[in-house]
Amino acid sequence: MERPLTFTQGCRDGLPIFIGYFPTALAFGLVCRDLGLRTWQAILFSVSNFAGSGQFLAASLMGSGALLAELFISVLLINMRYMFMGAELARKLDPTIKGWQRPLIAFGTTDEVFSVAVLNPSPLPAPYLFGLEGISYLGWVSGTATGFLIGMVLPPLLQLAVGVTLYALFTILLTQQVRQKGLKALALAALSGTIHTVLTVVLSVPVGWSFVISMLSATFIGALIIDEEAI
Amino acid sequence: MMNPTVAILISALATIITRLLPYYAGWLERLPRFFAKSLRLLPIAALGPLIFPGVLLDYPDRWWAGLGGIAIASLFAWRKNGMIIPILLSIATTWALLAL
Repeated sequence: MERPLTFTQGCRDGLPIFIGYFPTALAFGLVCRDLGLRTWQAILFSVSNFAGSGQFLAASLMGSGALLAELFISVLLINMRYMFMGAELARKLDPTIKGWQRPLIAFGTTDEVFSVAVLNPSPLPAPYLFGLEGISYLGWVSGTATGFLIGMVLPPLLQLAVGVTLYALFTILLTQQVRQKGLKALALAALSGTIHTVLTVVLSVPVGWSFVISMLSATFIGALIIDEEAI
Repeated sequence: MMNPTVAILISALATIITRLLPYYAGWLERLPRFFAKSLRLLPIAALGPLIFPGVLLDYPDRWWAGLGGIAIASLFAWRKNGMIIPILLSIATTWALLAL
């Protein structure tokens, strides 16, 4: 028998996402604290963005003194995958979903929400998606606030050490990619990291532009070399 | 540093554009394969410059402190899923290397 796609069912399906998001958002809260943001700014960050890698990238660029235009383009690029997820999800939506509900559903689409939502048979009703996205959102925002508050009680040297959180997080993400996709993923990241290091340290290119250039050039080279099936 | 509130809202704007566009732009479904493949590679390519050279430059007198931290994180992430333990171990390692 098919499961009824109710609000409650959406919350239930979103619970593993909540559990997954909470510790990651906790790390993000620590990063915000390390950046010198205020409590409400850290919460605003997660409330208004609700995007893991995009937020970590934005935080990293804010810390390195990039320009707003550099930040905008970098975040746009790293979040471009949402366009394809959105296009896929929009096709599966219940056609009776009202106009004002669509932007709300679009706002809550993350990698994890998308992968859970599209596993269901279409059409997807709005209450189910609101449950699924709502519980995930709650995990992300509450985790950020908790992480920030934990960061406030740490001694100074430990606060300095907490600065490594962002790098540790990116390293963990990279390690997971290498585990799943092999050494090609490592080679790709190493190539873009090397380009970025040369551009910023040797050639003194502003960090935000260098980030965009290194990310795009490595992606282009990677797409030329790596097989479709290998990704 | 740029105004953090403005930066946060600019980042939100960039994110919202990517999420809303597919609901209003049908051409997205007809993009070439090369482009679609590139978009899958992009987040991996982003990780390199997010780690280097920042992890070394953030601790100018003790560059090995950050490096030690991410090495431990990578080692533990390789063996097991999950984020919080490798992150805590990474902070502890960097803390120890800074305190030495």
